[in-house]
Amino acid sequence: MSIRKELEAKLIARLRDDVVCVEKTDERTIYIDVKRAGFREASQIITASGARYLCSIGYDNIERDGTLAMVHTYALDDSNRFVCCRASAPVDDPVLESITPDLPSAGWSEREVTDLLGLRFAGHPKPKKLVLADDWPEGIYPLRKEVPHDFVPQGAEDVAYQLDEAPPGTKIVPVGPFHPSLHEPEHFAVYVDGETIKGCDYRGFMTHRGIEKLCQTQVSYNEVPFIAERICGICGSVHATAFSQAVESAAGLIIPRRAEFIRTMMLEIERIHSNLLWLGVAGHLIGFDTVFMQAWRVREQIMWLCERLTGNRKTYGMILVGGVRRDITPDIAEDILNVVKKIEDELTVIYRAIEKDTSIHKRTKGVGTITRQQAIDWNLIGPVARARGVDIDARRDHPYAAYDEMKFEVPVLDGCDVWSTLVVRVVETFEAIKIIRQCLDKMPGGEIFVEMKDKIPAQRHAITVVEAPRGESVHYVVTGEDNRPERWRVRAPTFTNLQAVPLMLLDEQFGDFPIIMGSIDPCFSCTDRVAVVDLQTGKSSSISKAELDVMSRKRLQGNQLQQVQK
Amino acid sequence: MSQFTEIAIGIAQVFGNLLLFLVIAPFLDGVVRRVMARVQSRQGPPLAQSYYDVLKLLGKENIDSAGILPFRLAPLVAFASILCVIAILPVAGRATALTPYADAISLVYLLTLGGVAVLLGAFASKNIYALIGASREMTTMIMVEPILFMVLLLGVLKTGSLDLTAVIYGTPMAAFGVPGVVMIAVSLFGLQAFVARQPFDIAEAEQELLGGPFIEYSGPNYALFKYYMMLKQMFYAYLPIAMFVPLLGSGFYLVDLALQMVLTVVVFLLIGLLSATHPRYRIDQAIRYFGVLFVIALAAIGAAVIF
Repeated sequence: MSIRKELEAKLIARLRDDVVCVEKTDERTIYIDVKRAGFREASQIITASGARYLCSIGYDNIERDGTLAMVHTYALDDSNRFVCCRASAPVDDPVLESITPDLPSAGWSEREVTDLLGLRFAGHPKPKKLVLADDWPEGIYPLRKEVPHDFVPQGAEDVAYQLDEAPPGTKIVPVGPFHPSLHEPEHFAVYVDGETIKGCDYRGFMTHRGIEKLCQTQVSYNEVPFIAERICGICGSVHATAFSQAVESAAGLIIPRRAEFIRTMMLEIERIHSNLLWLGVAGHLIGFDTVFMQAWRVREQIMWLCERLTGNRKTYGMILVGGVRRDITPDIAEDILNVVKKIEDELTVIYRAIEKDTSIHKRTKGVGTITRQQAIDWNLIGPVARARGVDIDARRDHPYAAYDEMKFEVPVLDGCDVWSTLVVRVVETFEAIKIIRQCLDKMPGGEIFVEMKDKIPAQRHAITVVEAPRGESVHYVVTGEDNRPERWRVRAPTFTNLQAVPLMLLDEQFGDFPIIMGSIDPCFSCTDRVAVVDLQTGKSSSISKAELDVMSRKRLQGNQLQQVQK
Repeated sequence: MSQFTEIAIGIAQVFGNLLLFLVIAPFLDGVVRRVMARVQSRQGPPLAQSYYDVLKLLGKENIDSAGILPFRLAPLVAFASILCVIAILPVAGRATALTPYADAISLVYLLTLGGVAVLLGAFASKNIYALIGASREMTTMIMVEPILFMVLLLGVLKTGSLDLTAVIYGTPMAAFGVPGVVMIAVSLFGLQAFVARQPFDIAEAEQELLGGPFIEYSGPNYALFKYYMMLKQMFYAYLPIAMFVPLLGSGFYLVDLALQMVLTVVVFLLIGLLSATHPRYRIDQAIRYFGVLFVIALAAIGAAVIF
């Protein structure tokens, strides 16, 4: 019996009339439509059949049938399937039953939908504001179609986020919005008893740019990859690839094999960059700046390589819907091989030094410990999960691009602590180098881009996952009219992993806060969907701020002149 | 030599000491920074960078964020106490005019006063990071000061006197013995804690506490604290040299002094290397480390008393 039929039988046996339909849209996606009464139970049945919760997507369907819809998505890692469970609620009674009591990591997805669409969830354990600013007016839901993308409401004074109540006998240490161990504006209120952490509340999303809204209303499919790339300064290609794949899947577009190989290679180059960056930051967070400097010295070479490859040090702009922008010439291929060889050698030296350093062990072993079961309950992903014995990797479980042809190891450790995440990341960097070599070795010839000729029909749903250096990124696209997505949801890995950080922090020392926080390689920008700026210009002849101002003004005036002339 | 010239030389010695420490301490800090940079494959700041830092801070506005007297007084007390330490210190074996009025106990006393001033400023600032930093600093002081005291106590036992010149410079002459060798090891292992550098920069811990006790300080007040830290660092680096390396005894004071200063630079190179190759310890780990040092030092003192 196929997986779809099996699921259908189970659902109908329990929910009977509440099941509307169970269908398979493509090779690996199963859609289940249920009535709202059976929404939570359907979710329970799906997870009981071995599916892992990914994220939830809410969208505005008011114009069509006066409802707000919600999709919970799951992955069946053993059989490479995605399960999407849909239900909707009428806009005048926008309540669905919450699944957070069953799946704690659904907490933020539901709070986000409540903030942005006004769909409420009965039984949610912490129905507080998540995304919207504290002074955002009641009753305005920015992701609804009636709200324009550039809507700016009147600000309000004296509104502040109410922190969770501190456990008795504790003091509140504010970490953030600006703190050297965060790098981006976020606020943690850490409740400490002496030096021991007894709890923590999180208020983030301070730099929410509304990228999803922008792309749903202002631009076309072909432009979104470039905006998607700017969601994150570190895993840009991941988002661009994931979006492009979702659109290609919705359109039924098959892209050239060579393009898939180049995508794979860019993703792995990005992984090397990201893991070296993380290694440096981790060193810095435990006060070991030598690791920081040496890891970033090695990292610098990959940025130079990317500049030669794409013209940019980090935001590559390589991925398009339908393929990639630049080909890999034999010269460039040799350049890549040389650089990764050098990085492999130098990282080996650093890793050997770290591996035996007892003082690093002291700061990382047994720190930030959570059990394998807790990691599964909170749906942890990426190196954070793999360091806790959870064997998942989207590249292997849900192969995309050219990963089906690649041979690589997925390191899984059971140390359950920060040290294991470090080892997992270093080993993955070596694996990434292997994959790059295989890519260059096996790359077929041919085109690198295929144009999308037909119009994509509206109301098609597509889901893709791409394994970012931090864990899998989930992109969900609902196609729309006007050559742009009607709904595009980005679930960055930090969105999931960050929710479990309070659990990792519990009963740890305050001195370990930075490295525990850092061990998930938090990318708040992805979570908030806003770009980070690269830290270094890397050139001695960098432009001063004044010069830059003059340049931008000239440019701006030029544009205005052109507009006037038109 | 008349009594008058003796006093005049003694007073000149006081100012000489102060000048020596005030001028060289920032340079030595620069040495540490440069060594760390080289280990990290960086070019590093100029050797004079620490002078620039202090000068720049001195030219800035003094923000009195706590608005109470102890907050304003703390940097002055800290700076003054370390100056007192230097004024009574018999550098290169020559007592100053003030040395006879002090002994090994007042030395420890004055050093602790500086630490207490840092705590005072931190508590007065009422900043949560400063409070955590201060509580860490206090824990460290409680553990580390007795170790320092026992290093000096060995000198007291060896020479049978509390007089500073005898305690500090008498030890090498009175033959090390096993306790002496153990104490050299203890003071080397305690070095990073004395100078509050990695792995023991726990109270300041930039990534956790953003500078800890000093977070609310700025401008000249902060410059004083910085200068205080640099002077303290130089004192602690110089102490093992003075106590455990015999004076050259060339007959020329300046030659003796120059050799000791060169050795102090070597200690600073060591500080730099150790800082660059260690992560910061957590306070609980540091306490365990100090505990072991404390027991070893105590054993050495015991051995010195018995044998």
